[in-house]
Amino acid sequence: MAEMFTKVAVIGSGVMGCGIAAQIANAGVRVLLLDILPREGSNRRAVAEGAIAKALKTDPAPFMSAAAARLIEAGNIEDDLARVAECDWIVEVVVERLDIKQTLYRRLEAVRRPGTPISSNTSTIPLSQLTEGLPERFTRDFMITHFFNPPRYMRLMELVTGPHTDATLADKIALFCDVALGKSVVNCKDSPGFIANRLGVFWMTGAVTQTIEHGLTIEEADAVMGRPFGVPKTGVFGLMDLVGLDLMPHVNASMAGALPENDEFHAINRDIPIIGRLIETGYTGRKGKGGFYRLNKTGGKRVKETLDFATGEYRPERRAELPELVAAGRDLRALMSAPGRVGAYAWAVMGHTMAYAAKLIPEATDEIVAIDEAMRLGYNWKHGPFELIDMVGADWLIERLHAEGFAVPPMLQRAAGRSFYRVQNGIRQQLGQDGEYTDIVRPHGILMLEDIKLAAKPVLKNGSASVWDIGDGVLCFEFTSKSNSLDEQIMALLGKTIALVKKEYKALVIYNEGSNFSVGANLGLALFAANIAAWMQVESLIATGQEMMQKLKYAPFPVVSAPSGMALGGGCEFLLHSDAVQAHAETYAGLVECGVGLLPGWGGCKEMLGRWASDPKMPKGPMPAPAKVFEMVSTAKVAKSAAEAREMLVLRPSDRVTMNRYRLLADAKRRALELAADYKAPEPREIVLPGPSGRVALNQAVAGFAKLGMATTHDVVVSGELATVLTGGDTDIIDTVKEGKILDLERESFMRLLRTPGTLARIEHMLETGKPLRN
Amino acid sequence: MQVYKAPLRDMRFVLHELHNSAAHVAEIGQPDVAEELIDSILEEAGKFATDILLPLNASGDEEGCRYENGVVRTPKGFIEAYKKFCEGGWGALASDPAYGGQGLPEIVGKMVEEMQCSANLSFGLYPGLTHGATLALQGHGTDELKQAYLPKMIDGTWSGTMCLTEPQCGTDLGLMRTKAVPQEDGSYRISGAKIFISAGEHDLTENIVHLVLARLPDAPKGIKGVSMFLVPKFLPTEDGRPGARNGVTCTAIEHKMGLKASATTQLYFDEAVGWLVGEPNKGMRAMFTMMNAERLSVGIQGLGVAETAYQSAAFYAKDRIQGRALAGARYPDRAADPIIVHPDVRRSLMTIRAYVEGCRALSGWVATALDLETKAADPVRRQEAEDFVAIMTPVVKALFTDLGFELSSMALQVYGGHGYIRDHGMEQLVRDARICMIYEGANGIQALDLVGRKMPAHMGRFLRGFFHPVQAFIEENAADPKVLPLAKSFAALQQATAHIATVSLKDPEEAGAAATDYLRMFGLVALGYMWARAAKVAAEKLPAANGDAGFYQAKLTTAQFFADRLLPQTSALWSSIKAGKASMMALEDAAF
Ligand SMILES: Cc1cc2nc3c(=O)[nH]c(=O)nc-3n(C[C@H](O)[C@H](O)[C@H](O)COP(=O)(O)OP(=O)(O)OC[C@H]3O[C@@H](n4cnc5c(N)ncnc54)[C@H](O)[C@@H]3O)c2cc1C
Repeated sequence: MAEMFTKVAVIGSGVMGCGIAAQIANAGVRVLLLDILPREGSNRRAVAEGAIAKALKTDPAPFMSAAAARLIEAGNIEDDLARVAECDWIVEVVVERLDIKQTLYRRLEAVRRPGTPISSNTSTIPLSQLTEGLPERFTRDFMITHFFNPPRYMRLMELVTGPHTDATLADKIALFCDVALGKSVVNCKDSPGFIANRLGVFWMTGAVTQTIEHGLTIEEADAVMGRPFGVPKTGVFGLMDLVGLDLMPHVNASMAGALPENDEFHAINRDIPIIGRLIETGYTGRKGKGGFYRLNKTGGKRVKETLDFATGEYRPERRAELPELVAAGRDLRALMSAPGRVGAYAWAVMGHTMAYAAKLIPEATDEIVAIDEAMRLGYNWKHGPFELIDMVGADWLIERLHAEGFAVPPMLQRAAGRSFYRVQNGIRQQLGQDGEYTDIVRPHGILMLEDIKLAAKPVLKNGSASVWDIGDGVLCFEFTSKSNSLDEQIMALLGKTIALVKKEYKALVIYNEGSNFSVGANLGLALFAANIAAWMQVESLIATGQEMMQKLKYAPFPVVSAPSGMALGGGCEFLLHSDAVQAHAETYAGLVECGVGLLPGWGGCKEMLGRWASDPKMPKGPMPAPAKVFEMVSTAKVAKSAAEAREMLVLRPSDRVTMNRYRLLADAKRRALELAADYKAPEPREIVLPGPSGRVALNQAVAGFAKLGMATTHDVVVSGELATVLTGGDTDIIDTVKEGKILDLERESFMRLLRTPGTLARIEHMLETGKPLRN
Repeated sequence: MQVYKAPLRDMRFVLHELHNSAAHVAEIGQPDVAEELIDSILEEAGKFATDILLPLNASGDEEGCRYENGVVRTPKGFIEAYKKFCEGGWGALASDPAYGGQGLPEIVGKMVEEMQCSANLSFGLYPGLTHGATLALQGHGTDELKQAYLPKMIDGTWSGTMCLTEPQCGTDLGLMRTKAVPQEDGSYRISGAKIFISAGEHDLTENIVHLVLARLPDAPKGIKGVSMFLVPKFLPTEDGRPGARNGVTCTAIEHKMGLKASATTQLYFDEAVGWLVGEPNKGMRAMFTMMNAERLSVGIQGLGVAETAYQSAAFYAKDRIQGRALAGARYPDRAADPIIVHPDVRRSLMTIRAYVEGCRALSGWVATALDLETKAADPVRRQEAEDFVAIMTPVVKALFTDLGFELSSMALQVYGGHGYIRDHGMEQLVRDARICMIYEGANGIQALDLVGRKMPAHMGRFLRGFFHPVQAFIEENAADPKVLPLAKSFAALQQATAHIATVSLKDPEEAGAAATDYLRMFGLVALGYMWARAAKVAAEKLPAANGDAGFYQAKLTTAQFFADRLLPQTSALWSSIKAGKASMMALEDAAF
């Protein structure tokens, strides 16, 4: 495990500094956040304090919980600089000016504890310049830790060390950033832009200039550059609107200034007057009046508009209709070879980006896997450039570059007649500069299903789920359905899995490597079944789900769920029925059924009631727990982090959090084995619920909201059913309610709701628009 | 002999007793369309059908249409009958009062349509197409066009057509070639050749208004590049009279299997003046307004012919004597028993009857939705009705027309050799009924529409309007053993629906392979539901029925026959659906 730091100093409280500070605090580590003195006012800490206050209002939130924000202490570099001596790591995130940075370093030299690592978050200044003229003591402790914006959500951290940097210190920082901050650390050489930005800026610049050159509309360019290449569907122009157009000229100028004369970047980089005009008129992207895209709100209407390069004016957004994309399908080579402007554009941008990536070996790094990882995590590409080359074929790329008179980088040449990656004996290997393949080794202690799959076959499998042996007597249950939505088949395989673990294994982990743990039950199927009035089928799915959840809970072996991303509805119910949850910090869990006019039917109501009823902080009596659960479930509340899930009791105090996505499975497995040591299944719980009087009280509250216009007609119907379930139906305060009874109530109410047109309309709307219907 | 008298009692049953016309007209804001009014309209329409249209059916078939130098003459008597038709206001029945229509509910309009189809299918096509054209124009035309054309079309002075088909383009309208070139004055010049155009040229009206699908010069390829144009035979003058001859000529009429008194024409458009209806390149949307209505009407054509076939066969079965009843002579004083005593002849008669009455009940249900779609006050009800029409359109079109042909052939069989020769008119019914399975989208295409478009739309939302009421009815009547066959076949339909929805996600060919069987299965369950409800109504009314007891008793018996003998086909259909496409698609193309 990483040696935990107890306190970290972050100097500079701009967006990046504050974001890094927030992520360190999210890890539970104290932060001293320093900035300059305010220009006016008597509060000498105003700058850093203001930054924290702003961060608390930012969406997406830099903080995972309000408690995390309290771990940050604000200060200024005049009064508080000496306190860096309290800190185990000093991160410099001040303006990108060499003189200012160096002055700060000299001042820090005077006050820091010797041997305390110092790093800069610079994205443009080489390490060699930063350390120029500084004593060796300093250079030994110094490195660049380059985070990406927003630091909480972007999983890449580029680590650059100098010739003097102490390797153990660098390892320590790398390990902390990996384990505590959840970053994937990619080692880079001290070359301009490091890896991700070097290639990313090349790609974006090319994409913009080639759009104009080939006469594509912005929508067309984004449609070509987006989905087909596995780039986020915002494409290039959407991305530039997001990061800010005003950055582009700066970044490009600094890149152009830093790169040698013969670098290919110069050939594609040019001044684009229209971008200058946009920036001047305040169209700096989403933070400004708009960018390449804008929302025109004049005349009370909201019209999405797009910049037209030909006229320089905005016009209504026009969906790109490109038969070339349809024809090419998933075949990128076909797309890049398509006759006409679309194919030419795809080639001009991506063909050259791929070649440029190859050129970065050995300039920016010696390993292709570093470049791929940097692009996947720094730019959210689905595939790194070398993976893309393997998809189109290195030979094809080489041949085409040759044919068009472009240089073929040596690293690309090396892949001629083969591929950059291959799988040998169940292990993924990469091509090295020596032309040999070597195993790709993950940092110590990482276990990935992705790797296991290369060497093994699933123990069990059907159309919606697979089960893997992850060693030491632990099985891993993986959802494989679309969006990991839950269906009959998942329940069927779960039944088989439980039986198998009982017989032959020690523990079960429920985990997958999709972007979301599970978005809940397959609503499309449910809606279709409801539309054809197949009530029995739906009811039996609910009943089977309930049965499976109970089986999970009371199985004679431990079950650990390890969610990451969304765990909604039924996905959340899996967590609630597990013995333990090992949650990725970025887990967004909640019982959201009411949003689509339903209620939790797989024991979600039952479990949440049980948790709140036994929470020692709750006031006594049968009403507080139902009221609390009602408040959360009726509003379909979703925790925006694992930390928030704790506050909602979706996670218990005993549940644990993993910061690094890659480490989730290993942590979950460890937890499962811990529990297996002397495991005893839980005792069934009985609780006291208020019955009809409680229901009336909840309904009255909702009626009140309805009067104020805060609850819709169908909200009243849905909360009415929810109130019935949560208060125990017709139970009496003097009786205790068994789990089975609450499950029956859940099921009955669920079925009644499913028969209402209001609920069917909500589900349909959600499926078709992705947004809730307020009917 | 073609025998036809409008089945007024059954029509009244369907409208008033089964579908509660009183509540319906109240909901669509026409409470003054009382039962008595409806009944008197039906009675008059029935007389018109039997007295005026039926006598021209066989003669019209014999004589056919004649083509000479671009002019088409309809058979003897058609001009006079058409005049009477217009004078009686029969064409304007369900049309918009804003343009001179009578604005009667569709539930009445569709019954009257059925009578006309029963009595004379060929004749019915002329006003039928006009009605469809008025709907498209009303939905998508400019005010100017509507004012200039609708009143004349609704009163029947002018007639309408729909011009889609070209030699190379039938089902696949994306292959269309006819061109439309915009002019400075806002009009267009249309050029191209159309074939198979019903009522494209004739001598019944002073002008003909063609709704033509064509491509604009910059139109996208395929179906998304088709626009609709109005092209009159004569350009109207300022005062609304037919003026200069437009550049559209009839170059020939088709010689065909049946429907001979209906002119099926080849039209040549040569720089003909036309006006855009609806938006550029959105011609299919405009045409669909018309086609949905037309498809239901074509379904009713199938039903209409089958009714006449039934009446004719029933008449003959009681008249023709051959052989003796198996259980012993029933009419010992005669040389032989009438063939109606034979079980197999009974099977035919009961089958035709059960289908025909079931279809009529179903068309009544769909007609209520046609009314609600536009006239219900509650937007939710309007949407529900629209969804229901969407799902039922392909079912009604294909089921009714398949049956129209099958049943008229069955009726012909009752006549034996006398059905095959021309004298009795039975073979005409078979020939006439056959086209209904082809035009307005061949029935195979209807089935694809059902499984490929309507079923998956909005995660099955269109299905709701059918499945929910049926399920509710089954639940309400769970104790009634008579409802059991319906419950069973409905459950199979639910399974088949879920099955097709699932398999076709992975392989659209599976949906294609299942489509026709599924549509028939759906149709059978729909008829089964109508019969179960009809039986319930009949059982309730029977005790106090007095003079009508025979009618209700017959309903109950026919309902039982449907449940016993026809509805079980759903099991076989479900089996074939489950079998999937494998054996259907296995052979290489060259093996055929
Ligand atoms: C008497 C008569 C009157 C007519 N009146 C008019 C009129 O007024 N206006 C007008 O525009 N047209 C009219 N038509 C044309 C009629 O609508 C077409 O004949 C019909 O649409 C079928 O087109 P087709 O004949 O070219 O057959 P094709 O399209 O060639 O089809 C042949 C067969 O292949 C099947 N098929 C085709 N494509 C598919 C597919 N994708 N999937 C599965 N099966 C497929 C069809 O179901 C059909 O069985 C009339 C035709 C007749 C005979």
